[in-house]
Amino acid sequence: MEKSTKERILNVMAITFETSLEKLNENSSVDNIENWDSLKHMNLVIALEEEFEISIPDDEVGNIISYKLIELVVNECSTK
Amino acid sequence: MKDIKYSEILRLNKEFTFDESVRLIEIRVLSNVSVQQSKEIFEFTLRSESVPAKVYYGDYDNIIQDSLKYQTSNVVIIFWEICNISDGFEYSSYLLDKDYINKLIERIKQNIDLVFQNLKATSLVLFNRFSALLFSYPTIQSNNLKLIADQLNQYLEEKATSTIKLIDIDKVIAQAGVERSLNLRFYFSSKALYSIDFFKTYAQFVKPYILAANGKAKKALIFDCDNTLWGGIVGEDGIDGIEMSVKTKNGKIFNQVQSIALALNQKGILLGLCSKNNVKDVDEVLNNHPDILIKNEYITIKKVNWNDKITNLREIASELNIGLDSIVFVDDSSFEVNLVKERLPEIKIIQVPEKLYEYPISLLKHFDLFYNLSYSREDKQKTEIYKQQSLREVEKKSFANIDDYLVSLELCLTVFKNDLSLTARLSQMTQKTNQFNLTTKRYTETEISNFISHPDYVVFGISVKDKFGDNGVTGLCILNLDKDTYSVTFDVFLMSCRIIGRKIEYAFMDHLVSYLKENNVKTASASYIPTKKNGQVSDFYANCFFNEISSIDESKNYVLNITEYKPHNLDYIKIEYGEIN
Repeated sequence: MEKSTKERILNVMAITFETSLEKLNENSSVDNIENWDSLKHMNLVIALEEEFEISIPDDEVGNIISYKLIELVVNECSTK
Repeated sequence: MKDIKYSEILRLNKEFTFDESVRLIEIRVLSNVSVQQSKEIFEFTLRSESVPAKVYYGDYDNIIQDSLKYQTSNVVIIFWEICNISDGFEYSSYLLDKDYINKLIERIKQNIDLVFQNLKATSLVLFNRFSALLFSYPTIQSNNLKLIADQLNQYLEEKATSTIKLIDIDKVIAQAGVERSLNLRFYFSSKALYSIDFFKTYAQFVKPYILAANGKAKKALIFDCDNTLWGGIVGEDGIDGIEMSVKTKNGKIFNQVQSIALALNQKGILLGLCSKNNVKDVDEVLNNHPDILIKNEYITIKKVNWNDKITNLREIASELNIGLDSIVFVDDSSFEVNLVKERLPEIKIIQVPEKLYEYPISLLKHFDLFYNLSYSREDKQKTEIYKQQSLREVEKKSFANIDDYLVSLELCLTVFKNDLSLTARLSQMTQKTNQFNLTTKRYTETEISNFISHPDYVVFGISVKDKFGDNGVTGLCILNLDKDTYSVTFDVFLMSCRIIGRKIEYAFMDHLVSYLKENNVKTASASYIPTKKNGQVSDFYANCFFNEISSIDESKNYVLNITEYKPHNLDYIKIEYGEIN
């Protein structure tokens, strides 16, 4: 079965922030993920772009600091 | 590698785990741009080749200070980017006058001197050449960035020592593509100049240096014959029907492949054949075909018969006394390639490409796997030496017992004490010897020459000759003396696999102990540190009357009371002293 966008995003987050999938949910954000530093943030951007075959605009790169914001930007980029 | 997603690399890299006993290879990356994203890529690339690499970074733009701080790392990699010498230099450099540029170049040269000085004892330094390519490729005109890079590169060329390897980063950029290498978005936001694609290519490009430093360079290149070394099938087409002449379209390709193989042979790589064929047909080609470049004399080992290739390749490894993982095998048949892949996964296999014109370059892509950190005189002789060894193997079979055989060899051991002229070879042996190596400590040339001139160390090299020829310098022992307690520690004891199996190690040990006696040494301590490859020497010290005093995991520590040593007195091995050159 195809994975949902949500599953795919959480999966990317788990890998980049080196945490387990169970610990992540819709409310995960820079505030409750300890490993989320500026380097990991770059990794997140690259991994999302690879996973969804999108290019995240420079202005949005700094904004995607929670699951909900990531989902928003991914959906926006995917429909373009 | 290119096809693996970055997130996949992050995930897979986490899956490598190491025992606490494994000595991690510490790689330290120093840079004046942000390159932290290379970490997982470097680690994954090397761990996939069984190098337990752990990558660390220096502080941002702290190359000079960090070179002092991290000089003991196993490998130091330096990314020194002209474009970020000062903020925005990639474009502000256009506006500089000549005087300023000359001063800047002089200043950077001084900094290079400092870095080289700080890293002079580091085993391996990968120093990227300066490059202006990323910010000059779109224009036909040269610019100051290019001018500075060119002058500094010339300086690097003059100053780099044998442990500092200059990496031609433009080749990496060319392979990955200029625009795919450059990460403008992250360069402007975070000083992260390079893309993930670039780092993937870079890691592959420099990997052979790091493999070589860890004794993982390939040693033998083995070819199938029909449609691999030449075009056509000699058993069917006959000697006149097979192709390897520059004059024919397909022949030219096989000629090029043979040229590449011969070039490797000249660097000390052993060539061999493993082919299902009639030995008479193949010998006829090797001896008499007008276009053959890889003549009989360049081939160290031949398994031309109708046995399966698994058996033949195993025999090749055992007769050459090298590990299966030191072998690269080339074959055109998918059946054979898959069989070897499945049964002998340690062997690196190259399949002749379907598009035949890609064959030479596909071989060239594996050229660096054979890279040795220091080529010395020994390499040129190596083919000859191994060939003599194959002769010895044959003769070995016809003697009733091994001792008779050893006597017949007329072995002679030459001992060199503290001989500086052997530094390159002694260092190379510590890098490359895996099997008969009690501690597997890798030393650079600088470290070896320091031991030789240090009053508390004695460095013994041995060379071995017999009636078939001279094997060259093939054994090393480094002793650390403690004059206050009349004791000594065996820091290194190793012998090249070329001379294993002739009890030379015992004659060498006899000699060492008698030297220690003469110098009033009372006790000697030694240890055996196990690796995947040195199992055969786990009892060596016990066989030399050392007493095991402790063991942790598989490591064992020994002490020898010198008076308890019983010389092996192998009277068939003559011992001579070498003249200090």
